[in-house]
Amino acid sequence: MRNIGAALRGRLGAGGVSLALLLLAMAPYEAQALPAFARQTGQNCVACHAGGQFPELTPYGRMFKLTGYTIGTRVVPLSVMGVAGYAKVADTSKSDNPASDFYKNGVPLLASGSVFIAGKLTDNIGAFSQITYDNYANLATDNQYAGHTQADNMDFRYADRFIDGNRDIVFGVSLNNNPSVSDPWNTAAAWMQYVPTPSPASHQFIDGKSPFPGFGSGGNLAGLSAYLFWNQTLYAELGSYRTSKGALSFMSAGLNGASTTQLNGSNNPYWRLALSHEWGPHNLMVGTSGMIAHVYDANSDITDPNDLGRFKNVGVDAQYQYILDPHTVTVQMAYTRQTQDYSANTIANGPVDANGNPLVFVDANGNPLAPVNPSDTTNIFRAKLSYVYQARYGGSVALFNRTGTSNTLNQNSGYDPVFGVTSDPTGALGATALSTRVTGNFSGNPGTRGYTYEAFWMPVQYVRAGVQYTAYSKYNGASDNYDGFGRNARDNNTLFLYVWGAY
Amino acid sequence: MKKVKLGLAVALALAGTACSNLERSRDLANPNVPPAVTAMQVCSICHGVTGNPVSPIFPRLAGQQRDYLVAQLEQFRSHHRADPAGFEYMFGLSRNLTDAQIQGLADYFTKQVPLPGAPGDPALMAAGKEIFEKGVPEKATPPCVACHGPKGEGVATFPRLAYQYADYLSKQMHVFRETEGRPNTPMTQVAHGLSSTQVEAVAAYLQAFPTQK
Ligand code: HEC
Ligand code: HEC
Repeated sequence: MRNIGAALRGRLGAGGVSLALLLLAMAPYEAQALPAFARQTGQNCVACHAGGQFPELTPYGRMFKLTGYTIGTRVVPLSVMGVAGYAKVADTSKSDNPASDFYKNGVPLLASGSVFIAGKLTDNIGAFSQITYDNYANLATDNQYAGHTQADNMDFRYADRFIDGNRDIVFGVSLNNNPSVSDPWNTAAAWMQYVPTPSPASHQFIDGKSPFPGFGSGGNLAGLSAYLFWNQTLYAELGSYRTSKGALSFMSAGLNGASTTQLNGSNNPYWRLALSHEWGPHNLMVGTSGMIAHVYDANSDITDPNDLGRFKNVGVDAQYQYILDPHTVTVQMAYTRQTQDYSANTIANGPVDANGNPLVFVDANGNPLAPVNPSDTTNIFRAKLSYVYQARYGGSVALFNRTGTSNTLNQNSGYDPVFGVTSDPTGALGATALSTRVTGNFSGNPGTRGYTYEAFWMPVQYVRAGVQYTAYSKYNGASDNYDGFGRNARDNNTLFLYVWGAY
Repeated sequence: MKKVKLGLAVALALAGTACSNLERSRDLANPNVPPAVTAMQVCSICHGVTGNPVSPIFPRLAGQQRDYLVAQLEQFRSHHRADPAGFEYMFGLSRNLTDAQIQGLADYFTKQVPLPGAPGDPALMAAGKEIFEKGVPEKATPPCVACHGPKGEGVATFPRLAYQYADYLSKQMHVFRETEGRPNTPMTQVAHGLSSTQVEAVAAYLQAFPTQK
């Protein structure tokens, strides 16, 4: 924790640290996780998290969230969380620069930490907001990583519940920064994740970096949505997003202009519909969600209408839970179909290298490749089965499969008219098409498929130690030689060990 | 540090006094929230609006003896009932309830009508009925009816057992038999004489509690 402390001091300033210290000083004798919420209700994690697996919610946890995090007693609304990890990739040999491609491979690290400001503010208002520090966020030219602090998931709510013997209506409004972060089910894009997923920059093949159903717009936006949960059966939510700026710029705090997603206007609708049913210790949800987002290519430039592209995402998801101490079984499934219409400039200019110069790929016979498709469709499917015993020992298997249309635009490896398939990272050869090893895509197809296996142990409710193994059978469109330099999907298989703690 | 603490305290105090919504509050530390509101807004999520929960993780409170409900809530609040589920779920919820609120909550749930649970294996239930009505004489286990009543309806601080979820009943029997989680009750003695199969049998019988012969 010392590193995180030091880093936070640097990034968040003395205020952040005093808040964290204040929190520690006010520690009650029984520590609990999401600790601030647990202190607020005085309950253990298992009341809200199925089998204690953060962030998956129980039916009660979902109601806690939908009623605006307002159940309980107001307490200091602060928590901290930290992750230490170790990741090892199967094959690091087929790389030009293992130091940057596999930075910190096989080295234990203190990867990331978060501060949460979360809890009940009034009888109707509550918040869940996370600020994350990633020790290995940015790779500098000297192959050293620099830490970075930024706004993570944020959800501020107003909610009310009208309930009597005949009806039960929860109504609320959420101001949040990530489409579906407001959702109470964990097959929603913002939540269907293995936690923790630290420091993707240095561990680029762990499960956290593999395909997840999601929204093309990404996060760190500013959105407002209204929702209704009727008789704990029908859930409907409608909202819209815009660029996080002005008074709402804190929702993308820590991101510089070039990495803040720029949306066009406020007409970027998000919708969600779900049916939920509980019987005995079982509960099932079947739902659908979607979003249309108008996103500028160059995050800093919102002047040229020809830079404007469009994402349309439509998804279906389902979750089944069986919760009866000592057993917790969860089955999750999510599928999203994304249609991306590229901006006029993207279509006209085709793929470019890091310096903005056009990439000219040819086929093996030297014929120029087909022009860029004006739009692409991508389908991502994910399923996960997990079991936890006594909220202490757990395991899971997940399957992910991304398929989609091939497009020269997706290529960053290919034949150069003069040099063939050449890796020329320093530009010494003068290749016009900069093929890349390891992250390269030779086929122009996004197809990626694999399994993730995990086993974990929670010695106490706010500490989790886990072993995770992600095995790829396809990566960037191919099983073998996906980058054009002989790297195979299975070379990316990654073992990831972690210890996660929250307070 | 001081400034931060002060600022935070002031902000929270302001936010708190400005907006309380007594008819629909989920605040568990405000003595002015009427018990029926707490029952609807909070307790119902687990125990059901009518005290008949959907999931057997949560005990049925409908029709439970008033004095028993009061006693249990007081014991969660004072941490005298400290079995794992009680600690995990009920300590925090009860920690700031006033005596008057506890009594109001007990009034609310005792008035509700308990619904019968699903019947289990007939042979198991028959064995359970035997234990319920006659005890286990060779182990000197007294019949349950002696304290819990012929209809399993309970009286005063002797709880109603009829229609209670079998899973919950067996868990409590294990708590009495193997732990100090619920101390100072005759149940420690009673549970000692019963095997796990006998516990399962009596729990299955009580969950359905068929009235006809
Ligand atoms: C998050 C779910 C949850 C909520 C909300 C909840 N309870 Fe409970 N309650 C439980 C569980 C689980 C148990 C079983 C505890 C045990 O096994 O010791 C329990 C047990 C009880 C018992 C003891 C029952 C018995 O037969 O001994 C009473 C009384 C009770 N709750 C009352 C309440 C009241 C009143 C509220 C609202 C203020 C409430 N509960 C809210 C989960 C909950
Ligand atoms: C001598 C009186 C007595 C007898 C006999 C008795 N009980 Fe009890 N039982 C109690 C009391 C008193 C309590 C309340 C314990 C407490 O307050 O913690 C109780 C509680 C229980 C509970 C917990 C209920 C709840 O809602 O948490 C179960 C289960 C139970 N008894 C089952 C049985 C069974 C089965 C038998 C027969 C084999 C039996 N009891 C016989 C007095 C008795």
